[in-house]
Amino acid sequence: MPPLLRRVLTEPRAVIGGVILLLVLFVALLAPALAPHDPAEQDLLRTLLPPAWLPGGDWDFPLGTDSLGRCTLSQLIFGARVAMIVAIAAASGAAILGTILALLAGYFGGAVDWLISRAVDIWMSFPPVVLSLIFMVGLGAGLANVILAIVIVDWTRFCRIVRSEVLAVAKRDYVPAARLVGFSHLQIIVKEILPAVTPLLLTLISIEMGIAVIVEAILSFVGLSVEPNVPAWGVMIADARQYMYQAEWGLILPVLGIFVTVLGANLLGDGLRRSLDPRLVRRVAA
Amino acid sequence: MTATALALLARRLLTALPIMLIVAALVFTVLRLLPADPLGMSLPPNASQADVAAMRAEMGFDRPIAAQFAIWLRHLAEGDLGTSIHFRRRVVTMILTALPTTLELVAAGLVLGIALGIVCGMAMFAWRGTLREQLVELGSTLVMSVPEFLWAILLILGIGVGLGLLPFIGRIDPQVTVPATTGFLLVDSLIALRPAAFLSVLAHLALPALALALALAPLIMRVLRSSLIDTYLEDYITLARLRGIGERRILWRHALKNAALPTLSLIGVQAGFMFGGTLLVEVIYAYPGLGSLMVDAVRNHDLPLIQGIALTDCVIVLAVNTSVDILYLVLNPKLRKQ
Repeated sequence: MPPLLRRVLTEPRAVIGGVILLLVLFVALLAPALAPHDPAEQDLLRTLLPPAWLPGGDWDFPLGTDSLGRCTLSQLIFGARVAMIVAIAAASGAAILGTILALLAGYFGGAVDWLISRAVDIWMSFPPVVLSLIFMVGLGAGLANVILAIVIVDWTRFCRIVRSEVLAVAKRDYVPAARLVGFSHLQIIVKEILPAVTPLLLTLISIEMGIAVIVEAILSFVGLSVEPNVPAWGVMIADARQYMYQAEWGLILPVLGIFVTVLGANLLGDGLRRSLDPRLVRRVAA
Repeated sequence: MTATALALLARRLLTALPIMLIVAALVFTVLRLLPADPLGMSLPPNASQADVAAMRAEMGFDRPIAAQFAIWLRHLAEGDLGTSIHFRRRVVTMILTALPTTLELVAAGLVLGIALGIVCGMAMFAWRGTLREQLVELGSTLVMSVPEFLWAILLILGIGVGLGLLPFIGRIDPQVTVPATTGFLLVDSLIALRPAAFLSVLAHLALPALALALALAPLIMRVLRSSLIDTYLEDYITLARLRGIGERRILWRHALKNAALPTLSLIGVQAGFMFGGTLLVEVIYAYPGLGSLMVDAVRNHDLPLIQGIALTDCVIVLAVNTSVDILYLVLNPKLRKQ
């Protein structure tokens, strides 16, 4: 086993976070097999049921029902699909866009760097949530548009941090050495610089997955994310909020779903940072 | 020192203008991508094609985007942000009415979050290497995994509905009134010498401000702790110890001041972002601020209102960033000399 991988696997945070995310992913992938009901199926005679173990509960609906008598457990399970698709696609998209721009800015410097850095400045002069809201108004509802909106808003999180890392790496001796040996710019960027910033990138992607889940939930809550017939945690929260005096579980459960997923992403990110960041390793040793 | 600070301020103001212009143009263009007709909701369903065309012409939506933007800019220069399509009121008036509510909420959230973060960060530093530190850190990871708007909901469920301790709808009890002077109800109720109103406003502010604070505090805590650890590795701390200065004095007089700088820049960035965080917190607590207004505008495809609030957000973030930079300059002797 490579030493880096072993370091990650012996860091409890990374392992616990990774396991949580894998479990959510597993639930999302197997949703049709795991869910006891069709998430859209309504049972108007059994609305706002509490979880089965509470008085008035019904084991047909293990976690109760919402105001239209839809099975909360099935909605939660199918909601994991939207959350995981957005987490994975938006985080990778933002990472790819942000890293490409960071590599260009950090490696070539000069006008390229100036232009990209000013773009980051402009993006940062705006609360990210507001910016994604505006993009969603322009793009319209839909899963692909949510992912696009998050990528367009959050690439700066990657670009800013990776750029300064690229600047530091590009100064190391082996980069000019590679030039002297006759490597092209593209070869140096791909073979020398990209591997050096990969540990940082993995940490950032993991944290961004949590952010993407939150942003999607916010957009769903406002009614600007997926189409209305797709089950999503944010939509569940917005619906259940109107009935919180009668049925608090309908509100607590989707909140828990978001919390567990974001916790997994944060723990994994934290664990990766601790096990992969050479500066931090040095400081802990000191 | 003041000269450097003034130069920075001037430079910042010079760059702020183009940034605002680009942000405004960007938002303007994105909003015109809209597949739905922004007028769809303001015309009766039986409106004829001619009615629609007349309304589009009246609102200027039939012209090219660049021309529309030029008109919008010309009006902006006169202090006019247009009229809301949905509410049929002037956007400037609506924003100015909502702004104090949001500023009051964000200020309360910042104060609470910074206080919580500093206390926990120093506690974590004092307990470094112990089990307690691990527990606080685990707690902070858990707290950080709940975003503001979910804190807002959980606090309502637990403290508002469950315990019935604090109110969670609106800014003030409906039967209590305060004459509007500044729009900041805390200030207005003090000016009017109405302690009951002041307490009511404070009670209504508690939960939403806490929701914002809980998202900010763990970040501050972590940055403060790690910069305190870095600072204690510096030679001057060892030197101070050798000179026989007490640990307490070293922490308060020497270490904290230097460790505060990274925390300050973090607060600067997060304070700007908090105006995004208030969005749903305001909706959830029925707070009539800029966030609620933005969500209303977005739901109704109210382009002039969205555009106006977006510009306001941008101005606020730039103002916050500039103030933090100047504070940073004043506090950091290394930067002052350059």
